[in-house]
Amino acid sequence: MKELSKYQSLFKKALRIRLVEEDIISRYHTDKIQSPVHLSIGQEAVAVGVCHALTTDDLLFSTYRSHAFYLAKGGDLNAMMAELYGRVDGCCKGKGGSMHLAAPDVGFVGTSAVVASSISNAVGSALAAKLLNKEHVNVVVFGDGATEEGSYHESLNYASLHKLPLIFVCENNQYAVHSSLEDRQSYNILEHVSSYGIETHKLLNGYDVVAVADYMEELINSVREKPRPVFIEIHTCRYKEHVGPGEDFVGGYRAEQAVNDWKAKDPLETDQKSIQQFKKGLLAEIEESVLFAESSPYPDQQHLLEDIF
Amino acid sequence: MKTLSYVDALAKAMHDALESNNNTVIFGQGVDDFKGTFGTTLGLPEKFGAHRVQDTPLCEEGMTGICVGAALNGLKPIHVHIRADFLFLALNQVLNMAAKYKYMFGGHHDVPIFIRAVIGRSWGQGAQHSQSPQAMLSHFPGLKVIMPATSQSILESYRYAINEFSGPVVSLEHRLLYGVNFEVEENNLRTGASALTSYIVREGADVTIVATSIMVLEAVRAAKYLANYGISCEIIDLHSPTDIDESLIIESVRKTGRLLVADTSWISFGVSAEIARLMCQQGFGLLQKPMEAIGMAPSPCPTAKSLEDLYYPNQEVMITKIVELVERNDVVIPDEKSMADVYKKFKGPF
Repeated sequence: MKELSKYQSLFKKALRIRLVEEDIISRYHTDKIQSPVHLSIGQEAVAVGVCHALTTDDLLFSTYRSHAFYLAKGGDLNAMMAELYGRVDGCCKGKGGSMHLAAPDVGFVGTSAVVASSISNAVGSALAAKLLNKEHVNVVVFGDGATEEGSYHESLNYASLHKLPLIFVCENNQYAVHSSLEDRQSYNILEHVSSYGIETHKLLNGYDVVAVADYMEELINSVREKPRPVFIEIHTCRYKEHVGPGEDFVGGYRAEQAVNDWKAKDPLETDQKSIQQFKKGLLAEIEESVLFAESSPYPDQQHLLEDIF
Repeated sequence: MKTLSYVDALAKAMHDALESNNNTVIFGQGVDDFKGTFGTTLGLPEKFGAHRVQDTPLCEEGMTGICVGAALNGLKPIHVHIRADFLFLALNQVLNMAAKYKYMFGGHHDVPIFIRAVIGRSWGQGAQHSQSPQAMLSHFPGLKVIMPATSQSILESYRYAINEFSGPVVSLEHRLLYGVNFEVEENNLRTGASALTSYIVREGADVTIVATSIMVLEAVRAAKYLANYGISCEIIDLHSPTDIDESLIIESVRKTGRLLVADTSWISFGVSAEIARLMCQQGFGLLQKPMEAIGMAPSPCPTAKSLEDLYYPNQEVMITKIVELVERNDVVIPDEKSMADVYKKFKGPF
C-alpha cells in the first residue's frame, strides 16, 4: 500500500474524529449514551495538528470538549466509546463519561468540566517537570471562554514567573455556551497574554490541519530546546451546539452563514475524494468500537465506592 | 516523654517531610519570610533550598491547581494558608478537582497534596480570619480533614498524611494552640491510617465529651475541674471528621449514657449534627439525657471583645452543660468569661 502523504495522514486522523462524533450523533437518540456530549465537530484539525508532534511522554490537559484531543493524543477508541456508554471497560471505568476522559498511558492526563480548571493543573505539571528534570513538554488546551476566569490569570502569572515548560493552546471558537466573544471580553487575548511576558502565537486557519501541525511542530520543538511558556491562539469553528448533537445556528445566537463560510474552507467538508478514500475503513473501526462498548459490562456496586481515596 | 509545643511539632513535621522525601515542596504566602508561617517553616529554605520552600503569588485557587498538577507529575506538595478563610478561594480546586481526580478518572491518578490551614481566633480576628470549615470540607467524598489538638497528633498524622497517603488532606491547625506545650511520646506514635482516626484522651464513666481541636483542651480543663466533684468525664478527640471511629463513640455513650459535643465551629450542619446522626442511627436508645452541643454562636465572628467572649463558648458554658447532663446541682460554676484570655497566659504542658 502506498504510503500516505502528510496531508492524507493528518486528514485521515481528523476525519476519524469527525466520523466518530457523527456516529455518536446517529446513536444519541437511542439514549444508550447517557452522558452530555460536547462535540468537537469543526474543531478536529486543531486537535490533530496540536498533537501531531507530541509524544506519549508529553502531557496534555484538556476540557469537557475532549473527544478530539483524546483521540488525537492516541487515546483508545474502544475505551472512549465504552466510557460514553457507561461501561466498565471505559477509559475511566464508566465514572467519567464524555466530559472526563483520561488516557495517562498516552499522556492524555485528564479534563475538567469546570471551565479553566485544568489550566493550573498543567502549570503544576510543568513545575514538577522543571523541578524533577523531566524532559517532556506540557500542553494545556482551553477555549476562549476560559480566558475570562481568574485562575487563568493566576496560571499565566505563575508559568511566566517560573519560566515553566508549558504550551498554552487557546481554541478560539468565539462562543462560550451561547454567548459570543465580543459580548464577553473587553480585552484582546494575545495582548493580555503578552503583558505577562509570555511569547504569543496566532493561527487563523484552524481548519487547515497541515498548517496547524507544521506550526505546532516548530513551536513544540522550540519549547523542547528552550523550555519556557508559550501561548498560541488558534481560531476554529464549532459546528454543533454547545452541548448535544444539534446544529449551532438553530438557537438564533449565531448566523448560519458564519458556520457555512468556515465549512467552505474545511477539507473535512470539501475534500470528498479523500473522504471516500478513508471513510469505509474508519467506519468499520468505529462500528467495532460500538460493539466493544455494548458488550462491556456495566460497573456495579463494587465500583461505586472504589477509587475515592 | 518529652515536652514539645504545638508550633515546634509543626516545624518538626515540616522539616521531616522535606527530609524524608526529596519531592516534597512547601508552597504558601510567606513560607520563606522572616516569620516563616508563625515559625513552622523557619530555616527550611536555607537547609533544603529555595525551590523546596516556595513563596507564592496571591492566588489560592491557581496555586491549589498548581499543587494538584504537580502532584500528578511526581511532586508531593504541601500548601499552607495562614488563615483557613483564604482556603475558600481555592474550593474549586480542592472540591471539584483534587477530591475527584482519582474517582472521576477511574482510579488513574493519585493526588498526594497536603493543605495546612490555620484557624484564627480572638483578639479581633473577626469574621474573615477565624472560620473553622471542617463541616463543609468533610462533606465531600475524596477529601480527608484532620484537626490536630496536640503535638503528638501532629507528629503522627502529618507523617502518615504527607508520606504515605495518596490523596488530598486538609489539616485545620488552631492558632491559639501554637504556643501551648504538650507531652509527647515520640517512640509511641500511631502509624498508618490509624494515625488519623478518633482516640480516647481521658477515660471516664459519667459523661462522654466528643471534641475537636482546641475544644479537646477545653474538655480536659473542664474534666479536671469536675473531677474535684467526683464527676468522671470521658473525652474523645474526634481528630478527623472524615475518619471518625464511630464504634469508639457508641461504646463510650453506651457506658456513660450522656453526650456533649464540643466543636470549634457552628453547631447546625456541623460536627455536632453529624455526631447526632450517628447516635440516632447507631446509638438509638443509649442516651439517658438529650445530647448537648456547644460551638460558636450562630453569627459571623464579631471583633469587639465583649461580643467575641459571647461568641466563643467558655468554661462556664461547658461546665454548665456537663453539670446539667449529669444532673448535679452541687457544682460551683467557674467564673471564666473569656477562653481566649486563658490561652494567652497558659502555655502548658498539657
